[in-house]
Amino acid sequence: MYGILIDVTKCTACEKCVYACTEYNGLDVLKADRDRAVITDGLSANRLSTILKVDEKRFARKSCMHCLEPSCVSACLVGGLTKSPDGPVIYDRDKCIGCRYCMLACPFHIPRYEWDKTVPFMVKCNMCVGRLADGEQPACVEACPEGALVFGNRDRLLSEAHGIIKKYPTRYHNHIWGENEFGGTSVLYISDVDLAALGWPRFEPESIPSLTEPLIHKTPFIGLGVAFSLVGLNWIVKRRNTLAEEHGEPFKEEPHPEENNDD
Amino acid sequence: MIRRTRAIKDVLWFFALAGLVAAILRLWFGLGATTNLSDSVPWGLWKILNMVGGVALSTSGFTVGFLVYVLRLKKFRPFMKPAILIAFLGYGCSCLALLFDIGLPHRFWHPIFMWNINSFLFEVFWCVLLYFTVTAVELAPVIFERLRAEKVVRMLHRIGFVVVVIGISLSSLHHSSLGSLFLVTPQRLHPLWYTPWLPILFIISAMGGGLMVVVFIKLLWARWYDPASINGSETERKTPLIQIINGKAATVFNRRSQGPEFPQIRSLATIAASIFSVYLVLKIVDLFLHGGWGPLLAGTWESWLYTLELVLGVVLPIALVIIPGSRHSATGIGLAAFFGAFGLALNRLDVGVFGYFRDAGVVYFPSLIEWAVGLGVVASAGLVLFFISEHLPIFSEQPPATRPAAGLFNLSFGSLRQLWNTALTDGLHRITLISIFVIPLAFVIMYPPFYNSSANNQEIRPAIGIDAGRTILRIDGNHGGVETIFAHAEHQKRLGDSTSCGKCHHVSLPNDRSTPCSRCHRYMNDPTNIFNHESHMSAVAETEHITGLHPANYSCLECHPEQNPKTSSNAKDCLSCHKEDMFLAGVQKDSPNLRLANSYREAMHQTCIECHKKEAVAQSKPHLGDCQTCHKSLQTISDSELVNVDVANTI
Repeated sequence: MYGILIDVTKCTACEKCVYACTEYNGLDVLKADRDRAVITDGLSANRLSTILKVDEKRFARKSCMHCLEPSCVSACLVGGLTKSPDGPVIYDRDKCIGCRYCMLACPFHIPRYEWDKTVPFMVKCNMCVGRLADGEQPACVEACPEGALVFGNRDRLLSEAHGIIKKYPTRYHNHIWGENEFGGTSVLYISDVDLAALGWPRFEPESIPSLTEPLIHKTPFIGLGVAFSLVGLNWIVKRRNTLAEEHGEPFKEEPHPEENNDD
Repeated sequence: MIRRTRAIKDVLWFFALAGLVAAILRLWFGLGATTNLSDSVPWGLWKILNMVGGVALSTSGFTVGFLVYVLRLKKFRPFMKPAILIAFLGYGCSCLALLFDIGLPHRFWHPIFMWNINSFLFEVFWCVLLYFTVTAVELAPVIFERLRAEKVVRMLHRIGFVVVVIGISLSSLHHSSLGSLFLVTPQRLHPLWYTPWLPILFIISAMGGGLMVVVFIKLLWARWYDPASINGSETERKTPLIQIINGKAATVFNRRSQGPEFPQIRSLATIAASIFSVYLVLKIVDLFLHGGWGPLLAGTWESWLYTLELVLGVVLPIALVIIPGSRHSATGIGLAAFFGAFGLALNRLDVGVFGYFRDAGVVYFPSLIEWAVGLGVVASAGLVLFFISEHLPIFSEQPPATRPAAGLFNLSFGSLRQLWNTALTDGLHRITLISIFVIPLAFVIMYPPFYNSSANNQEIRPAIGIDAGRTILRIDGNHGGVETIFAHAEHQKRLGDSTSCGKCHHVSLPNDRSTPCSRCHRYMNDPTNIFNHESHMSAVAETEHITGLHPANYSCLECHPEQNPKTSSNAKDCLSCHKEDMFLAGVQKDSPNLRLANSYREAMHQTCIECHKKEAVAQSKPHLGDCQTCHKSLQTISDSELVNVDVANTI
């Protein structure tokens, strides 16, 4: 499974990755330029990746994290999002109905919507699946002049990252963002400052599908259980009523003393 | 009561027609132009109030079905038909609103064929679809009875119990799943509302709230068409009672509602209130278990909203049902039912909209079109409810006779006065009159280009001259409302006077966006530049005490001379300000804060030189890789010389 390792200490915010991304995805460079100025986190339907300021002197590329257990994939009701075995989370616009549940479900606020179009679709980074199929690196990784983005097998990247942290213990936080958060992501970050600005939580939460999927797989049984208990309950009530009638006791239509003659 | 319902119907027609216009505008102009939804707030009024709230308010079919068919409580049988009709219409209008909400309405059928069994939304879709069918089947006997198709009616009655059981099972699934929809956002939803118990809380509150809706609508209906069934007959109300107060006999009037149907309504409200009490207890236990106390006592607007939701929507209805005074009056029960339904809707809004404000960082208020469609759909459902209940035996054995004698076909043009009278009494004419006024008005008010506020389609304001000759303009550079001063005349002069317009204004389209400043002044806004122009602007404005709306925009003259072009070459020296702080003593070279990426120079060198060298070979232009090519000050090469070199090399 592929992944991208991002070294925050190396990023100079030159935005070459963003331009490469915009160009490769055939988006309007001028609109991408404008959205950097207008939108707080820089991501829009015209800009699939952006450079965020982590603090005064640190920058990092932000784009789809390609989670190992993606919330959006689990949420999409038509199965329009899939986690491919190669790593990327891929969007199928032929299935999408535009419900935007993926946008609500993503813990990183990645999916964007083409609000200004009459026939809109969701937009997000797909790790350049087309380029991966041709045996090339994603456009952003290839464009980075600093080597701040490294593409490769996720396991290899993890061991590399651990190696870097071990080698320079004073320079890096001893933490790889994306190793365990939300069940792990294909995009990994190492940094010397906290990455809360990129939307990383301060603890390591479990993956979101693990909150919902065990529950939803129970639903057919809950439904059947409810149906059977209703039938059972109805049978008991019926039986009780018949018995009451046979014994001539006023079981069935209880007079409600409280209703009519109270006070 | 024809006159009163007529006025209400007029209002409903007004909203329905305005909603129709809004819906057409929404489909024509797209979501971004007509709604206030954004990437930060992807779900708004239509999804939360119309869908999640609307479905919750239409639980009646399932709860009353449970009481009547499973528990066989015969006294609630008269509520069955109203409850099913309300459920049918409620689900219908939720689905209709959803059609306008989804981005690609023509694909609404996709989930039928494309499955994702891991998605709660998928489950909700299927359950709502099936349950909508179930309510239609449950409602069908009424229509077939009217059509006198007795065989069908008998067949439908035979499968009645099975249908109800299927309906209840489906309901118990999707009402809880509507809560589970929000389980995917543990990071984003406010902790007051986010709890693993969302599915349980949703289904229990929906059960109570759904009953409250039946009670409310039943009471309204009785008020308009059959007050005696609730309040008792006039004579009964006017008959004085003799009571002994303080040992003396006093005459009092019985103010209690004594109609034959009131006891059933009251016991339905009591059941709803008991469900609400369970809900209240669960809510409080949930606060204890899932850490809601902290945020509740934090005093934020969310904690006040949460309190309001619980007090108005849960505690008040319970109290109104418990207190004897209100318990025995139709008004008291009606208020309890209203607040119960209101609290349910508010809870859904809190979970789906208000709970996300903190995370989104923006406040969402639905646009005019969103309100119009949302209310219009509900208003149309109200009209259908009126129509069906007036023509079919839903709320009573006999549909009330409401038709006035004067009708469309009796219209005669004898006199203007008669025409006017007919127009006001005949339903169709009133509707025509309303639509003549409402449709154009709604169209004009809601036409998106008139008020569009979406950032993406923002209108570009014309530049305003600040002097008489318009040599200097105030321009909105980022289309975000932050203005700056632009010396238009000077730019024009420098770039070649009257022939220079095309250099910035490429095509003379209306609202031509022209060329952004950064196209020429790249260094100023380029994040790659080591000189952070933006922060210098604000810092200088602060140290020099420049005031105004955007002080940083007026700080140019602090570093750049007044007349010449404001470029880096004729700006102040860095050292003129930074003499001291650039050479601070005692800074350790190895301190972790000093270790950044490669220096800017190295970074740029890598970015440029690598490609330059490659291109030098590829295009056989060896000078491309030379230092002088970029660093012109090392050896001054005039532009004409460079061109000559190029030509020579190519040849």
